Amino acid sequence: MKSFSSFHPTVLFLYYLSVIFISMFTMNPVILGCSLIGSILFFSMMNSPKVVLKDIGYYLLVFILIAITNPIFSHNGETILFFLNDNPVTLEAIIYGIAIATMLVAVIFWSKSYSEIMTSDKFVYLFGRTIPKLSLVLSMALRFIPMLKLQIKKVNQVQKTLGLYTTDSITDRILSGIRVLNSVLTWSLENAINRGDSMRARGYGLKGRTNFSLFKFYKRDGMLLIAIILILVTAILGFVFNIFDFYYYPAVSSLEITGVGILEYMFVFILMIIPFIIEVKENIQWKLLRSKI
Amino acid sequence: MRNKKINYFIIMILIPLSIALGVILFKDRKYNLISIIIAFLSCLPIFFSFEKGKTSTRKMTILSVMVAISVAGRFVFAAIPGFKPVTAIVVITAIYFGSEAGFLTGSLSAIISNIYFGQGPWTPFQMFSWGMLGLIAGLPFMRKLLLKNKIILAIYGVFAGVIYSLMMDVWTVLAMDGVFNARRYLAAVTTALPVMAIYAVSNVVFLMLAIKPFGEKLERIKTKYGI
Repeated sequence: MKSFSSFHPTVLFLYYLSVIFISMFTMNPVILGCSLIGSILFFSMMNSPKVVLKDIGYYLLVFILIAITNPIFSHNGETILFFLNDNPVTLEAIIYGIAIATMLVAVIFWSKSYSEIMTSDKFVYLFGRTIPKLSLVLSMALRFIPMLKLQIKKVNQVQKTLGLYTTDSITDRILSGIRVLNSVLTWSLENAINRGDSMRARGYGLKGRTNFSLFKFYKRDGMLLIAIILILVTAILGFVFNIFDFYYYPAVSSLEITGVGILEYMFVFILMIIPFIIEVKENIQWKLLRSKI
Repeated sequence: MRNKKINYFIIMILIPLSIALGVILFKDRKYNLISIIIAFLSCLPIFFSFEKGKTSTRKMTILSVMVAISVAGRFVFAAIPGFKPVTAIVVITAIYFGSEAGFLTGSLSAIISNIYFGQGPWTPFQMFSWGMLGLIAGLPFMRKLLLKNKIILAIYGVFAGVIYSLMMDVWTVLAMDGVFNARRYLAAVTTALPVMAIYAVSNVVFLMLAIKPFGEKLERIKTKYGI
């Protein structure tokens, strides 16, 4: 189900970087729309319909909230619809609110799928060379958290069995929480020292040590990488030559439809739905293969 | 010497450069994007000096434990809304292990806790806010002051809650407006007042309850293993 995530981490990271960058860079409604569609389509491929509907419902509320509150705080624009407490509510402010809400929701959906796709092992693999110490601290902390959670559960159960802080009142919860954390801290600090010593004993940080990695760069990774870079370059050219320029104040500018413009928008749209297309293609292939059995 | 140069390079050149880029290239409208980039760049000097400096493996593992504790603490107190022990643990780490450790614990906790609680464009802001709170608490004179005087520690807890909330409101306004809108900011701060109060109270509660037991443990580890 997750064929996009099987691509090489470098490609995935660059993809997310460019998609989020383009979405936050421009206020052009077409690009923002493409980004929102792409992010939601991909997110819905990754999750069960129930989760998708719940999230879309929630962010629809956020969307409406931002869109309707913008005119309250911004009185720019020349088309005045009506007055609210002596302040003009303008059409431009509402449209701008819708655009910025689109941007925010799109970026949030991209971030959501980013968390699912770029798992911590990929992140550590990517930055293991440039920031070796920090990524080691990160990956160790990530390992410690499930360990601590288990230990916290154990200590908590013992405390409850002993009859300490058993009510549900806030004071009891806080006091027991601190007590449990305290005991877990003792346990994990000694643990950490041992770990540090054994790392040193095994030659951590010495010269000439290599890294183990599970990720290989295949031909399809290269192809996707080239595609992303090409589209990114065309998109940047579009920004440089003001093809994507769009203004909301004082009046909403009209979209200029030129041949080059349409081509540019198509490229951006393709970039935004690449993960969705890859998932769909994989699903169809899987169904076909299964139907042949 | 070299890593100092890199730090100066980042502060003196990259940050003004991204501001200039924002003004010239994006016609002064892309505050949301630029602010994220600046928040992230501000974290880099300390990250680099940590990478270049000599750190024992013991200190690295202890750092990762403190990060893990502050994130796991969020699960322990998940039942009480708004009560996050992250700031308190960052401050305590900073008091016992210094500015650098404080900053790293803060900013790495932000990255990792967002892996569990939702990554987003606000991550760099959280990294910067928690990191700076740790950095300030770890300054030599602050460490002494915070250790000696519980009232000052409590005041720092309130300060940390307020600053954290104010920083996050900046992000809210930038996200909702695309530009910094002072009236929107005021509205956001007012609506966030209860949350700010919870942050401040929870910080004080956690600091008061945890400084002694946690501090003893960190002090013991420090003297026992000479970190």
